[in-house]
Amino acid sequence: MTAAPGMRDLVHRLLVYEAGAAKASEPLESPTLRVYEKLRQSLGEFVGVAGFYSLASRALALAKPEAPSLNTTVVSGDGALQGLGEIQTQIDMNKDPAGEGGIILIACLLGLLRIFLGEALTLSLLRNAWPGEVFDDRNSVHGRNA
Amino acid sequence: MSTQDKVKINKLPTGVPGLDEIVGGGLPEFSFNIIAGAPGSGKTTLAHQFVFANATPERPALYFTVLGESAVKMLRYQQQYTFFNPAMLPGSIRFINLSQVVLEKDLGAVLEQITKEVEKANPAVVVVDSFRTMVRKPESDMDLQSFIQRLALFLASWQATTFLIGEYAEDELRDNPIFTVADGLLWLRQTAERNSIVRKLQIIKLRGQDSVPGLHTFRITDAGVQAFSRTFGLTARKRNPPSDRRLSFGIAELDKMLGGGVREGDSALIAGPSGTGKSVLATQFIAEGIRQGEPGIVAVFEERPQAYAERAASLGLDLETPQKDGKLTILYLRPLDLSVDETMHSILDAVQKIGAKRLVIDSLAGFEMALAPGFRADFRESLYRMIFALTGIGVTILSTVEVDESFTEFPFSTYSISFLTDDIIRLRYVSIDGQLRKIMVVIKMRGGNHAKDIREYEITSEGVVILGKRLANYQGLISGIPVHSDRPDQTEEPSLDTGIEHTT
Repeated sequence: MTAAPGMRDLVHRLLVYEAGAAKASEPLESPTLRVYEKLRQSLGEFVGVAGFYSLASRALALAKPEAPSLNTTVVSGDGALQGLGEIQTQIDMNKDPAGEGGIILIACLLGLLRIFLGEALTLSLLRNAWPGEVFDDRNSVHGRNA
Repeated sequence: MSTQDKVKINKLPTGVPGLDEIVGGGLPEFSFNIIAGAPGSGKTTLAHQFVFANATPERPALYFTVLGESAVKMLRYQQQYTFFNPAMLPGSIRFINLSQVVLEKDLGAVLEQITKEVEKANPAVVVVDSFRTMVRKPESDMDLQSFIQRLALFLASWQATTFLIGEYAEDELRDNPIFTVADGLLWLRQTAERNSIVRKLQIIKLRGQDSVPGLHTFRITDAGVQAFSRTFGLTARKRNPPSDRRLSFGIAELDKMLGGGVREGDSALIAGPSGTGKSVLATQFIAEGIRQGEPGIVAVFEERPQAYAERAASLGLDLETPQKDGKLTILYLRPLDLSVDETMHSILDAVQKIGAKRLVIDSLAGFEMALAPGFRADFRESLYRMIFALTGIGVTILSTVEVDESFTEFPFSTYSISFLTDDIIRLRYVSIDGQLRKIMVVIKMRGGNHAKDIREYEITSEGVVILGKRLANYQGLISGIPVHSDRPDQTEEPSLDTGIEHTT
């Protein structure tokens, strides 16, 4: 499974939102990690730690062929990502301004949710973690105008 | 204490069609309930229906999942039901997974976690699924009892209506403290009867209000759980007073034999062997009703509605137009695993939809065959409940039943159900003058006079036609092999005065 363009688009919007939110509080933390941690927290409550670990490890396995930079990344038992932070700090932002590996990973994670729960329920769960303006019809997980 | 001093217990809609009637109007607000049953019996689906029917953003539902089915899989499957509204998640319905705390900590920590979430969310509904897995390792019975009591006390105090879902066996009812603490106990059963699955639910306990006792059939469809009350949802309906009005068959001679027709609100039975015209009579009865402005329902089990209407057309009876006009519904009920209650539900829906006054069940044998094997054992009892319920709301029922022809006996029906019927018309073959002819006789009319004449009839292109005279010059007609007597034929038409007896 490759991360669908529409899903990547949604992840981009989440990253943009988190990048803006991070400026004030934790400027050193990468937006990718912030998005992932928010997902871990909100989905973890819903599916449990073990449930989130299962989904995240599957998403990582799906993302690695598409993003070799994730080869050293692992999901720990509590669902946290290990290794992504280092990658993010090493990324040459000129070459990979969006941190493509992290985007692919999160897109795969959301893609799994969409497969299991459908688009409507996936968006409902995401709306619990992010404000409504991040989501509108143009940001359907099927992609814009898809 | 006067009525006005009593606290009013609000009843919450269950979200399960038919269940509100069974539980006495809805489940008591703030009650602490158990939904018990075997795997696959519909416990989770029932709880979801309640949650979706009652959760709001202001007073949400907290759905605690523990071990067993993961929340992702649960929602993957549950969203297939039509009641599932994804927009209600997570604002009105929040799923919280407690696996970690259950696996790693004790019941005290579980209670603490639930307490924290409840205080944070102020929920109207709390579900723990499955509670059985949550308390699988209590250090002692006292721990379990204390945990349950504290949980029940806390959730009631926080004004939450609670459901604990568990896979319990019925022999646990006596010893498990959870059943003592619970205000309501809904038990779902699922058994295999030959090749059919029979699902039944029982309200074993419900504090504060009357529920309908007994086992109620339920079915799980794409709309979720649907329950069928043993009282068919008619407990609140007042029974119609007996009527003296007579309903015509549209066959003048037969109406005369019946003392004017079938009494409105009666249950009448036409019994006879194959080919004697039971369905023809039933069709004429329903067609005459429509002609007189009385909508009707025909429940058929042995042929499809189109074939039924075509056969009626061959008798000159138009059943197509009244169907289009909403005056007639022909129900085809033959999925082979129905309960009487489900059949009744279909019939009642149709009755209420078109305001039917006449109902034909053609035939009882087909009806029985359409039932799941497990329900056939209760056929007579179920039929009794159905007839009582329908006639109580003023519907006149005409059923047909095939009886085995015997030349030594004259049974009224194969099912020994004549006690369920007010009126019985018996048809049979007789051998006369080298011909197999047909005779009919009114066996009983509970509500009035009827002729005791035995009349010959024929089935023509115009339906059943009763021939002019009663067969006075034969003895032993009901044996099927009558003996010609020397008495001359009766030349006068049978009159109500000469051919009437009064039975009660």
